[in-house]
Amino acid sequence: MGTKLKLSGADMLMHALHDEGVELIFGYPGGAALHIYDAIFRQDKIEHILVRHEQGATHAADGYARSTGKPGVVLVTSGPGATNAITGIATAFMDSIPMVVISGQVASHLIGTDAFQETDMIGISRPVVKHSYCVFDANEIPKIVKEAFHVATSGRPGPVVIDIPKDMTAPDNLFEYEYPKKANIRSYNPPIEPDENQIERAVTELMNAKRPVIYAGGGAIASNAEEELFRLNEILDAPVTNTLMGLGIYPATHHRFLGMLGMHGTYQANMAMHNADLIIAIGARFDDRITNNPSKFSPGAKVIHFDVDHSSVSKIIEANIAVFGQVKNSLSAIIKLLETKLDQYNKDTLQPWHDQIKNWKSSHGLNYELYKDESDENPILPQAVVQHVYNITEGKAYVTSDVGQHQMFAAQYYHFDEPRKWINSGSMGTMGFGLPAAMGVKFAFPNEEVLCITGEGSIQMCIQELSTCLQYNLPIKIININNEALGMVKQWQDMNYGGRHSQSTYQNSLPDFVKLAESYGHVGIKVEKNSELKSALEKAFSMKDRLVFVDVYVDPEEHVYPMLIANHSLEDMWLSKDKKT
Amino acid sequence: MIKRKLTLIMENKPGALVRVVGLFHQRGYNIESLHVDPVDDFTPYRFIEEQLETKFKENEISRLTIQTLVSDSLMRQILRQLNKLIDVIAVSNEETTYLKGVLLDENLL
Repeated sequence: MGTKLKLSGADMLMHALHDEGVELIFGYPGGAALHIYDAIFRQDKIEHILVRHEQGATHAADGYARSTGKPGVVLVTSGPGATNAITGIATAFMDSIPMVVISGQVASHLIGTDAFQETDMIGISRPVVKHSYCVFDANEIPKIVKEAFHVATSGRPGPVVIDIPKDMTAPDNLFEYEYPKKANIRSYNPPIEPDENQIERAVTELMNAKRPVIYAGGGAIASNAEEELFRLNEILDAPVTNTLMGLGIYPATHHRFLGMLGMHGTYQANMAMHNADLIIAIGARFDDRITNNPSKFSPGAKVIHFDVDHSSVSKIIEANIAVFGQVKNSLSAIIKLLETKLDQYNKDTLQPWHDQIKNWKSSHGLNYELYKDESDENPILPQAVVQHVYNITEGKAYVTSDVGQHQMFAAQYYHFDEPRKWINSGSMGTMGFGLPAAMGVKFAFPNEEVLCITGEGSIQMCIQELSTCLQYNLPIKIININNEALGMVKQWQDMNYGGRHSQSTYQNSLPDFVKLAESYGHVGIKVEKNSELKSALEKAFSMKDRLVFVDVYVDPEEHVYPMLIANHSLEDMWLSKDKKT
Repeated sequence: MIKRKLTLIMENKPGALVRVVGLFHQRGYNIESLHVDPVDDFTPYRFIEEQLETKFKENEISRLTIQTLVSDSLMRQILRQLNKLIDVIAVSNEETTYLKGVLLDENLL
């Protein structure tokens, strides 16, 4: 090797990101980040995407990360740039999404002086990051970048913040650049391979269960365990349910798939969980939207919990067997052992269980053919919109969503056969996520169909990104399920507050979304009648190189069902406005 | 609820202490008392060095003791959450020690 490259802090940062394999950065410039922005200008290896608001940058990086499995990268300036990024960082944190957020900071000598655009980014982000770094010595930039990516992507993934005071990136201070081959953090070693003893115990339980349910979540997707999960269930032949975060990890069209479970899960999924004798939790964490009242949760079930995060196990529901490790590796170990015992396992013993589930499904399962009886006398059903979209895109699209009723309808009625195609803010429930997340997905997969199922409430929270979509020519399809109200809030007010719609309607103040889309240079289509719906959607999807905003006016009275009855068990559900289990 | 003592060995890095204290607040745990010292005698922690294949240097690690009022089940959760912090090397209560994901059945700190 010749002499080492001598670079400024800002140039070292760009070199390090390139050496780390970064191709895209989502960001927004500002004073404290200007040295870095100049370094971006002077290189051509990494593309920077200029968003219209820092929240959009974080959600776009998040969408990129969720769809590719690679870490999303964000660059913002200090002060308001940094604080605007917080919602998106928290969103990634709550859903365990790998992300590296680089924030400019005021120069070292100004820290603590209430300088212009100074904010304590490390302090403000601390509760919503996996880890964070402040650069105090520019020499350490390559090492810190290496560590940040390692922490963000390994173990249970999450966002990592690197806060860089402006003087650390000054153009005149040059340093010898070398990118570390490996991150070496002695106080960090997430588990990978499972304990053999636990694997043996788990296999014994799996082989003896009469009413098993596989309950797989976002952790299984993070670990890329779809093949292992599929193979495991070729052997076990158990019913499978997915969390909102786990949709796609098991093919939704498979005959053993029960649908999503939990708050708005299917009847059969919730009933199966409640009546199971063995719950096989795979990268799922018994969130309160899943368990309902934990003391009434699945009274007769043993629990095997596969997870990479010790603190997720036995936090809400006590696990009988805990298997720590990368879920992919743990499932491989289970499969390997099971395959030596195939002669001792008889799938047929599960038949009474399958029969029971079939009964549940046929009595109160979701109606997947709603779209078939439509007439103009009736308002458009939001569920039927999703069903049309599913049919037109043949179930192959990347679907992002915002938060609320439309999100649940999308989760219930779009059937994901592959992981990483359903992109939504599950735990944080961040309105405004859908459109920027769709941008991130479209950058990653320019030739794939990317659509955003949203509502008129959520879409307005990051609507400014329509401008970004024009700048970079992102032909996303936006399906705005417009019920002229904050639907989920209104639903709760209908059910729990005597129908008092406090601040959940807009009193005729909604924009004309068609004109709005057009003013941003896109195509807008308004749909108000059932007879127009299918053809309008088909027209939208036929415009391959345009962003189309389809504004669909739906029945404002529609609620999402099933819905768990608060503080009860998973068996206790509202099945419609006037029927409960 | 019993008063319990926790001991942590952590990297002596800027912001490390606030991550620990912040975690207590964030998760709704209570701190009764807190004490932090730099470690200058590494002899009691040779087992950590061996386990992590590292050598501690002067001013590199701190020892933190926290008294807290908690139930047994919450105690385990606190230990696991603390162990998850990147700057925390090891954490123990009276009976167990978490050494970066390895659970040891005694208090070694």
